[in-house]
Amino acid sequence: MSNNMAKITDIRKTVEQLKLEVNIERMMVSKAAADLMAFCEAHAKEDPLVIPVSSSENPFREKKFFCAIL
Amino acid sequence: MCDQTFLAITFGPCDSCSENRPLMNLYIKTEPINYCSLCMEIMACQGLASGETLKSLKAESETLRKKLEEERKKLHDVELEKVAEKAEALGELNMKTRRTLKGHGNKVLCMDWCKDKRRIVSSSQDGKVIVWDAFTTNKEHAVTMPTTWVMACAYAPSGCAIACGGLDNKCSVYPLSLDKDENLAAKKKSVAMHTNYLSGCTFTNSDMQILTSSGDGTSALWDVESGQLLQSFHGHSADVLTLDLAPSETGNTFVSGGSDKKANVWDLRSGQNVQSFDTHDSDINCVKYYPSGDAFASASDDSTCRLFDLRADREVSIYSKDSIMFGAASVDFSLSGRLLFAGYNDYTINVWDVLKGTRVAILFGHENRVSSLRVSPDGTAFCSGSWDNTLRIWA
Repeated sequence: MSNNMAKITDIRKTVEQLKLEVNIERMMVSKAAADLMAFCEAHAKEDPLVIPVSSSENPFREKKFFCAIL
Repeated sequence: MCDQTFLAITFGPCDSCSENRPLMNLYIKTEPINYCSLCMEIMACQGLASGETLKSLKAESETLRKKLEEERKKLHDVELEKVAEKAEALGELNMKTRRTLKGHGNKVLCMDWCKDKRRIVSSSQDGKVIVWDAFTTNKEHAVTMPTTWVMACAYAPSGCAIACGGLDNKCSVYPLSLDKDENLAAKKKSVAMHTNYLSGCTFTNSDMQILTSSGDGTSALWDVESGQLLQSFHGHSADVLTLDLAPSETGNTFVSGGSDKKANVWDLRSGQNVQSFDTHDSDINCVKYYPSGDAFASASDDSTCRLFDLRADREVSIYSKDSIMFGAASVDFSLSGRLLFAGYNDYTINVWDVLKGTRVAILFGHENRVSSLRVSPDGTAFCSGSWDNTLRIWA
């Protein structure tokens, strides 16, 4: 009996959740994809992994090592 | 947090109909309640609104699911790869290991960068949490947790504290001080309490709040100072394995992924599950937001990584190859979002072109599974932690 009630509450929650999800605002994939591309292009210059910066500017690519001789 | 109900059979007057019948004694939170089986049936039916039955609710959920599928399909007018044909091709990637951080005695499970772009905190299976200086590879702080399998660690935005947790079901915050001789373990603060292992933790925009995910299927937002639970997020039907907070400009949401193969997007303030994606075929090990906050990527045991767009409410790209058979454990985007770095259980790191869906490079070097991977805050390098006890910085 309590098992039945638990199942009912569970499925009622799922129905409520699905109702919320069906009603959200969506946009076309073409627009969303275009926005993603625009973002990539706009920020590509600032991305040191896409457009490699010179070794002197990337602290990990520098040739000199920070060593303390004790 | 479950009600404990114990059943015992006795005979006597029912609390509801007052007739002498065989009773089903229930103890709800230690309070005894005696109802006969007939009354129990009647009450269960009254639990349903008029006209509803279990069957009709199930049918309703099926039609809603189908409707959701249709709505999503209507928007699928073009593939991301097609739109990306116009994008410039990427130059050849020349990345290799620039630093190797050795010092952990056992598998590295998690790592995080500090906002100063040079410090890293990492945690391992043997309970040690170490703070490294990535430029010099020196260890700055080390804490031994009273638990093994520290699966989650995070650096506070101010750089003054770290949070970590694992099999102890808690998330503890350690304030870091500049004093080299300080005893970190003494200042430990237990913030989060779950009923199962802690799988992920992250600070929100300040040092004052922490978001955690746990094997008990819930995520929760805590206040660091008081340890109080501010909001909890229920909806996963299995362990929550990962979470990621939306980039601060886009708002108060976060995404979580779990063993139930679902990725859910939540509103931090209301606790509401706003969107759900379930196209993966296996556990989702890692989720990361795209830098603009409009999409997120996920890595799964089904050996694929996928990109989900939040505004189109669907999966828009899959990053997979027939030759990749092992699960992906961790992903992160480069600063512009053009590159996706993914660490796999076959010891490699694959670099994917997010827009075109093709693999740009494979990076070898680790001698065991790559368990976690994060790009540095300024995008100049990324760090990977592995079950081979080391962390590697690639640039």
